[in-house]
Amino acid sequence: MQEKNPTLSLNDSFIEAVKNNDPQVLKNLYVNNYPKIEILVLRNSGSKDQAKDIYQDAFLAVWQNIKQDKFIPKSESSINGYLYTIAKNKWLDVLRSSGYKKTIVASQLGHFEIKDEENNDIDDDILKDKRLEDVMLAFKNLGEACKSLLRMFYFEKKSMKFIAEELALDSASTRNKKYRCMQKLKSLALKN
Amino acid sequence: MDLQHITQEELEQIEKYLNGNLDALALTKFEQRMQTEAEFKSKVEDIKTVLTGIETQALKEQLDIFHEAIETVSTESEEEDTKVHTLNWKRLLVAAALIIAAGSFWFLGGNPNERLYANYFKPDPGLPTTMSSSDNYNFYEAMVNYKQGDYKTAIAKWETLQKAKPNNDTLNYFIGVAYLANKNEEIAIPFLEGVAQNSEFALINDAYYYLGLAYLKADNVDKAKSSLQKSNVENSKALLSELND
Repeated sequence: MQEKNPTLSLNDSFIEAVKNNDPQVLKNLYVNNYPKIEILVLRNSGSKDQAKDIYQDAFLAVWQNIKQDKFIPKSESSINGYLYTIAKNKWLDVLRSSGYKKTIVASQLGHFEIKDEENNDIDDDILKDKRLEDVMLAFKNLGEACKSLLRMFYFEKKSMKFIAEELALDSASTRNKKYRCMQKLKSLALKN
Repeated sequence: MDLQHITQEELEQIEKYLNGNLDALALTKFEQRMQTEAEFKSKVEDIKTVLTGIETQALKEQLDIFHEAIETVSTESEEEDTKVHTLNWKRLLVAAALIIAAGSFWFLGGNPNERLYANYFKPDPGLPTTMSSSDNYNFYEAMVNYKQGDYKTAIAKWETLQKAKPNNDTLNYFIGVAYLANKNEEIAIPFLEGVAQNSEFALINDAYYYLGLAYLKADNVDKAKSSLQKSNVENSKALLSELND
């Protein structure tokens, strides 16, 4: 807490924490924002499971946008509003889709009050990339040994030194193991 | 995605590039190679996709674990309801009072300000406490208490710090939101009022929002509106439009 310039210290550290997948920060964001979205979906013809799916998609999209600096939150609460808007739009898309058309009366969408200007600059299509989907599916089905190694490197962002100690290997073997895991993952992704 | 032909060195080099870890000379060389070799450029793109995919899928799996925390919260309260008969009479009385209060609240439709407040109020999530710097150790230690919902302890620790730094906006802000989270809006208001005086404060928009909420809880709708108006937080705009309906 530097009194001279709180803007930089507070916000940068928070954004950095999100970008580096700080587990506590992500968990707080996730847990704090879910109830509001669950209420929204439940009140608008959805189920708990649908609320969870929509929310998780929205959460991933927000995280991606922060990582890529497409969205630079001014404060934690501006993330909350942004996350809510994305989730709401995603749920609206579901409601508008053909399967729902029959059961939804237009008036039920009334209290969404969509303002176009707030939706124009929101981009959440990163997850619609087919190649990315293939990689995600491949990673999901990768053997646990490779999975946990790659998770430590790329998600938990642990240092080479830490991971080598964790696996009780020297750093050259660790690097080689990581390379072979990447090869395995890529060949799996190609098969999809 | 044609990634069959990539050596370990090449992969590590590309990763360094993607993570911004190449030195100036290596970076220039690397970027030249991307411009001249289309195949190399698409390799880099592919690796980028792979890294993004790993990270995204890992987070996705993590989210399910986070979600269990939410689900245990709701099942715990359900379990407690079924175990009422095993509780001692004091807790039973409290539970009964709560049930009666909740019942009459719904029955009478509740106070609209109370209801709006309940719909909108969520404690400020606090600041990340993974700071490596130890100079604010006490501040972040209290932040941990705050995040665990132990507002009393957090307030006590922050107020100790605040005696030495009475004009620190960040401290005053968090003391204010902690009091509010602890259902003590009367005490929260002066803290948040003070913070809202400083237009340079990093969390000024949050301060206005929580000050507005505190006024709403205190049934002072006019002051709530004027404070909410000054905040650019999404929720603040939404709440304001509900108040103006």
